[in-house]
Amino acid sequence: MDITLFLFQLMNGVQYGLLLFLIASGLTLVFGVMGILNLAHGSMYMVGAYLAYYFVNTTGSFGVAAVISAIIALLLGILIERTLIIRLYRRNHLDQVLLTIGLIFVFNALQSLLWGNDPLGVTVPTWLDGAIPLTDMIEYPVYRLFVSLLCILIGIGMYLTINRTRLGMLIRAGESNRDMVECLGVNINRLYTLVFATGVALAAIAGIVSAPMVSVVPGMGEHVLIACFVVVVIGGMGSIKGAFVGALMVGIVDTFSSIMLPQLSSMMIYILMAVVLLVKPKGLFAH
Amino acid sequence: MFTNRAEKLFVWVFFPLALLMPLLLEQNTFYVNKLATILILSIFVMSLDYLVGRCGLVTLGHALFYGLGGYLFVMLTPEYEAVNFWVYTFYVLAIASLIALVVGFIVLRTSGIYMIMITLALAQMCFYFFSDSTDFGGNDGVFIYIKPETDVFGLSLFDLDNPVHFYYLCLLSLFNVLLFFKLVMRSKFGRIVDAVQENPERTTALGYNVFHFRLASYVIASALGAYAGYLFALQYGFVNPSMLSWQTSGTALVMSILGGMGTLYGAILGTFVYEGLHYGFEHLTENWMLPMGVLIILMVLAFRHGLAGYLESLVEKRK
Repeated sequence: MDITLFLFQLMNGVQYGLLLFLIASGLTLVFGVMGILNLAHGSMYMVGAYLAYYFVNTTGSFGVAAVISAIIALLLGILIERTLIIRLYRRNHLDQVLLTIGLIFVFNALQSLLWGNDPLGVTVPTWLDGAIPLTDMIEYPVYRLFVSLLCILIGIGMYLTINRTRLGMLIRAGESNRDMVECLGVNINRLYTLVFATGVALAAIAGIVSAPMVSVVPGMGEHVLIACFVVVVIGGMGSIKGAFVGALMVGIVDTFSSIMLPQLSSMMIYILMAVVLLVKPKGLFAH
Repeated sequence: MFTNRAEKLFVWVFFPLALLMPLLLEQNTFYVNKLATILILSIFVMSLDYLVGRCGLVTLGHALFYGLGGYLFVMLTPEYEAVNFWVYTFYVLAIASLIALVVGFIVLRTSGIYMIMITLALAQMCFYFFSDSTDFGGNDGVFIYIKPETDVFGLSLFDLDNPVHFYYLCLLSLFNVLLFFKLVMRSKFGRIVDAVQENPERTTALGYNVFHFRLASYVIASALGAYAGYLFALQYGFVNPSMLSWQTSGTALVMSILGGMGTLYGAILGTFVYEGLHYGFEHLTENWMLPMGVLIILMVLAFRHGLAGYLESLVEKRK
């Protein structure tokens, strides 16, 4: 493998990793702060992609479609938290798993009801539809660079919010002691709603920006969910930093193994996870 | 043996009724086959129920062993030669137990939410292994052309190709598995398993190695899960990767909760009711997942002790 091809694949791996980070950070945030394992997190990614498809076709503009879809996802997150998740806080993990499996069923059915089961495509917006030549033979799509940049910006935004703002302080406090935060006069329920809706929105945004890169198909959410689990297990449940490192590892390993070890490629990330767990049973950055 | 009144009632109603079913259906092979599949699933769900409900080990990867049961048989058996059913039952159980020992050693190092995710990821890993492999037919799976013979010392007891015979094999297996689990729970081993779930620290303080009891339970439940997968492979004459998918694990969990977690006989109730609803919804609408999903959500929110719990409250009230 020569150096340009290597760099090209590395960029692909990092880009995939950053996208995974966006989804996994939502999963790990919701778990870290609220103690909720949301199996329907992948469905939110799917919802984002399908909403983007729908609104790109009705409004004709990817930017407008992305904003509308993200807002709908945020509202959907609030709705789900207020009506269903709120009943799970004092329950065990098993009930959370079941209820969110129920949600997966509902979202899969709605998707097939509203949009059918054929693969759909979203075109890359014209203002991002170009490629940067790396060598004479290889060029890198601008859209992928844009997605990477967006993921990095959102990541930095999350880091600053959690570490530098009053809201972030409350989130960190809620993570370590819910009852104490409540006693200090903070409306923890509103905080939880916000965190859950943010988690949903992060997954949906990943779905929205993925829509032009992948085909929008049923079951896309479940595939991503499992990859996110691997990311979160590697990084340590509840740790955003862990999600970032884990996502990049998974993205790079997955990209390179599909070139170098095609027979084993879909298993490689699980092998990576098993190795990490043998060394650190609670993940790399567990609290 | 069956101490609880509701359980006794269920066993006395279900098994005689199930014995009569093939006669009532008058050789309608579609329904006999369908019921046999549900009996097989009940075995699978019961093994999961033991693990989750009795040992407190929540796994989302139990389908790993269901699929392995089928694939192990395919791997072991020569393609154009009939093998012996009993010998291969032993092989499948033995190898599945060995694999469960290794897998259990890894996954039981973790607990709670971590165990849920690791079991899921390991099962997915196997799912991709079989769905990508060219040796095992990839996504299409593998056909089993010749079913095993069931001779013991030259005496053929039943014919696996005969749906009614196969139905009774499944029913007998289910009864034996239920009996086996009841015996296990009554034994000293079972008492300690209960203690481990109740309070692992105190059980450790009493001098028992909690990990060993968990591992033994994991191996037992996994081997029986593999047996169910093996029966499924024999019934339809093929295996495919969807047996290993996380949906298989997930629906089995739903069935076990629906029946009443940890009650063992509830697994049968849950499986029959879930499959009945599935069959009904599927006939009503193409999007059967919508009513099913709503039902699962309502069940978690409102129906916390499952059908077995409901049955128990009915029986107790009458007393």
